[in-house]
Amino acid sequence: MKPIYLSISPTLGELHWDGAPDDALLASQLAWMEMIQAEYSQQLLEVRQGFTALSIRWKRSDSQLLLQSELSKHQPPPKELPSRIWEVPVCYDPHNGRDLADLALRHRMSINQLIELHSAQTYRLHFFGFLPGFMYLNGLPPQLHTPRKAIPDRKVEAGSVAIGGGQTGIYPQESPGGWHLIGRTPLQPFDPRRNPPVWATPGDRIKFEPIDRETLEVHLQNPPIPKAK
Amino acid sequence: MKETALATILRTGPGTSVQDLGRTGMARFGVPLSGAMDLRSLRWVNHLLQNDENAAVLEISQPGFSLRFSAPTCIALAGALTEARLNGASVANSTILPVHAGDRLEIGALAKGARLYLGVKKGFQTPEILGSRSFYKNLTDQSFLSKESTLPYHPDSTLPQRQHAKARWSGDWFDTDTLSVHPGPDFPLLDKAQRKRLLEEAFTLSNLADRMGMQLVEPLPNELPELPTNPVFPGMVQLTAGGKLLVLLRDAQVTGGYPRVLFLEEESQWVLAQKKPGDQIRFCLAKSQETRD
Repeated sequence: MKPIYLSISPTLGELHWDGAPDDALLASQLAWMEMIQAEYSQQLLEVRQGFTALSIRWKRSDSQLLLQSELSKHQPPPKELPSRIWEVPVCYDPHNGRDLADLALRHRMSINQLIELHSAQTYRLHFFGFLPGFMYLNGLPPQLHTPRKAIPDRKVEAGSVAIGGGQTGIYPQESPGGWHLIGRTPLQPFDPRRNPPVWATPGDRIKFEPIDRETLEVHLQNPPIPKAK
Repeated sequence: MKETALATILRTGPGTSVQDLGRTGMARFGVPLSGAMDLRSLRWVNHLLQNDENAAVLEISQPGFSLRFSAPTCIALAGALTEARLNGASVANSTILPVHAGDRLEIGALAKGARLYLGVKKGFQTPEILGSRSFYKNLTDQSFLSKESTLPYHPDSTLPQRQHAKARWSGDWFDTDTLSVHPGPDFPLLDKAQRKRLLEEAFTLSNLADRMGMQLVEPLPNELPELPTNPVFPGMVQLTAGGKLLVLLRDAQVTGGYPRVLFLEEESQWVLAQKKPGDQIRFCLAKSQETRD
């Protein structure tokens, strides 16, 4: 699984992988990212991940030309993905996830079946984007894929757990949003006063653990520290 | 401990914020770059004041602004052309001037350009979050400044150096309507007619414009697929499924799923930062790397 390099401007380019994002693509992407950060560290402004691309901002145009000329000599072996799994408590109920009942109906299943499907899975964190601390997670069961709302909600609470298209995610801050809301976590995905401001790292996995409404209320007052196993 | 002075906002329109060079490297946590929309003017202000290049300045994008200083400093203005008054007296196109305790600066209409930059000696000292003082919602305490907001700064009684007294405050550099672009990573998905239209016709800036991006009025109909979410940068032009062209700017999210059809050269992003809704722009392919060097 070897990427191609595409130069966009003299100081911006990206490695691009063919195919749908999965663990193998991510393992290759993380290996290339590590190699570039080690081999070209003095020449980089920034490296940024997406699902199928790794963008590189260079300090100077000749550094980009250098990587392009040396591309064929690099063959980093795929990186072993971390075994860490973060437990994310979620209160799935119509009060905290206002689209839960509609979504279950739409997919012809009971609310409990939906919760079971969503929380039995582990999801792979590929990268952060959209909002500060928003995790792009892969692995939503196909039975739960749901097109985004035609008209986005004007206000989605921080901590809302949602489904949009083939993805699931947590809104780290209150914002407008077009995903279907199924629950809420008391964890804070993003804290700007800490560096790093997030707890998970690309390649980690996330598992949602159902909690009841009382537990949510208690934890919202005093947000728990995220746990990994 | 350095002594701290305060600048108090007496009056402001919406959209006034503190900006520096932004948060490079924080995109890995999903944090936008932010920073001054017109970096050329930010750099000029800090150069005049002999500040660190990352010193924080005010970005003002609406007329009707005034500020009172509690202690002496030097201030510098750049970017949009405006009528500035210090204690009621016109400050005829001076770019740098001393202020004293109690002085009041007023900014009138923006006669030309869309963003004015106001710097003080050593920069405004609002809290630094993740390596930058640039305002961003949910990251810094404030998203925008409002009446009675206060801005800390370090008092300084040094007079401006003489060679800077006549520094020119010009808006000539953003007169051009031509923005220099590179084909974006998804440009090859466009057909011949779409490419021709994008690179040969004029586009109008709509009033859907803020620090995240500017939407263009004229659509570019297309049937391109939605793509896997991948990195986007300020200066990228996205094409939505509905045919809207959206130029991403400093506060844009760090990743996106719409096709990325163009990428504006940095200087052209600064020009665009000085354009207003209704202004026309054209995209022109940048000279190739070979001819440039």
